[in-house]
Amino acid sequence: MAFASYLVKRLGFMAVTLFLVTLITFGLTNVLPGNVALLILGPNATEESLAQLETQLGLNQPLYVQYVDWIVGLARGDMGMSLRYNTPVAEQIAIRLPRSLLLAISATIVSVTLSIPLGIIAAVRKNTPADLTASMLAFIGLSLPIFLWGLVFIFVFALNLGAFPTRGYVSPAEDPIAALHYLILPAGAMGVALTAYIMRMTRSSMIDELSEDYVEFARAKGLSEQTVVLRHALKNAAIPVITVIAFQFSYAFGGVVVLEEVFSWPGIGRLTLTAIENRDIPLLQGCIIVIALIYMVSNFLADAFYAYVDPRIRYGGEK
Amino acid sequence: MTEEKKAHYGRFLRQFRRNQKAMIGLLIILGLVLTALFAPVIAPHDPEATNIPDRELAPSLEHPMGTDDLGRDILSRVMFGTQISLYVGFTSISAAMIMGTTIGVVAGYYQGKIDEGLMRAMDAMMSFPPILLALTIVAVLEPSLNNVIIALALVYTPFIARVARSAALSVRNESYVEAAIARGESDRYIIFREVLPNCVGPLLVQASINIAFTMLLEASLSFLGLGVQPPTPSWGLMINQGWAFMGDAPWLVFFPALAIAIAVIGFNLLGDGLRDVLDPKGEIIE
Repeated sequence: MAFASYLVKRLGFMAVTLFLVTLITFGLTNVLPGNVALLILGPNATEESLAQLETQLGLNQPLYVQYVDWIVGLARGDMGMSLRYNTPVAEQIAIRLPRSLLLAISATIVSVTLSIPLGIIAAVRKNTPADLTASMLAFIGLSLPIFLWGLVFIFVFALNLGAFPTRGYVSPAEDPIAALHYLILPAGAMGVALTAYIMRMTRSSMIDELSEDYVEFARAKGLSEQTVVLRHALKNAAIPVITVIAFQFSYAFGGVVVLEEVFSWPGIGRLTLTAIENRDIPLLQGCIIVIALIYMVSNFLADAFYAYVDPRIRYGGEK
Repeated sequence: MTEEKKAHYGRFLRQFRRNQKAMIGLLIILGLVLTALFAPVIAPHDPEATNIPDRELAPSLEHPMGTDDLGRDILSRVMFGTQISLYVGFTSISAAMIMGTTIGVVAGYYQGKIDEGLMRAMDAMMSFPPILLALTIVAVLEPSLNNVIIALALVYTPFIARVARSAALSVRNESYVEAAIARGESDRYIIFREVLPNCVGPLLVQASINIAFTMLLEASLSFLGLGVQPPTPSWGLMINQGWAFMGDAPWLVFFPALAIAIAVIGFNLLGDGLRDVLDPKGEIIE
């Protein structure tokens, strides 16, 4: 199958999936307990004022009408008004989203710089104490929830060493140095949490490549071991690793929901939790759909990249 | 059991016993199960008995893991927490296994439109980060132990379904299944006698790894206050409540965190070992 037709097929799947995602999001948020009009007006509201507000918000319409209204708005970038903040949801998300992306991208950069050299070293020194230690640490790394990494980092670097603030956020546009100061701990914590996967992938993929004939050939030609490893094997081992990095980015983006709470990072993750707390349905719907969309797109790009470089994938159906 | 099956089973057991990872994992899990079962007998204190004058005591002989901000014995709470963690892990994954296997096997066996429909629905559920889907479901249902289990079961159903589908798909095209169809056997007979038994291996691997994930997710939900409610001693909840005192009394967070790590490592090791033995080339969705 040609890559273009593969891509078209996958995009078609994604459109169907996206439709189902909007259905799930809308369905779930609409069974959230609590009467919205009552929440806005408070317990002393009269019957008439409640009914009036419900009409105004369109809450007395049948659910499918509300769903269609929501989808039409969504397509135009209008996600309704936040019940709590009384501002457009899209505006709120536009402020919060870049902060979460900053965190997730920084975390991915941290983990790539840590894990790829570690993975290469472990592969080159396969089955030595260095490799076993690295593999064991990676295994332990996989076994801690992201929020715990956050707490460990706060405990060590903020509370004990006093090197960084425990929590908070400063905009890079206002004060880049202070912003970096606040970013290092959350990005570091999430980066370390992600390191394990990428390191394991780099290791196994490098081991595969190093056992190939062309590596033997390069060595026989008299190339230095460093050239063989870094110029030849690494180039081919990079393909699966890049895919894992793309998946890890989406994983990081899912992780921000919890990590932002640990570091009081005012991104879209905390916004989601606030929306749940306040039963702010339009805000919650907007947050969920935006997070899911980014998660989906980065997974899709990872898949597509993999299929592009490795044609065997395209014949195997969707996975 | 036929001779051939017996030999197959025997080979599996031998390889399993020789696999270090699987054995260490199994040992850890056994330790956890025993702790959970005997927590009421071996725990030195009542896990919910508060004793304000003895609050935030550092670890000592009387309180090997110290006491929390309400003077409760942390060792006892960690021990009882094992019950919650294992209960959540086993029940949610059992439910996910039942739903996921049904969906996956039906999709893989019947193929065509049924397959398309079911798998697109699974894709849609997997388009949400697990934590986001889980916490929305819990918020909708109101946070409680049972609702956490329901949420986790729903979140992990598509992962199981995918594995079951691809296993069923590969079995479906085997000659013995074709033969059974040609003999005119009923779908039910073929699914239960031929297809399901051949999906067990990959499903066990996936289940073991997913239990580790449900434990991580339960801890995260409890940490956010959207999980098991106080005063139940869940590890994640203990961290949630101890977090504020981390500067002066790090043991409030350290020991429950250690418990989470040990439990997750146990199930991950078992899953990894099982994969080595059962299905060396199998792909696991993580």
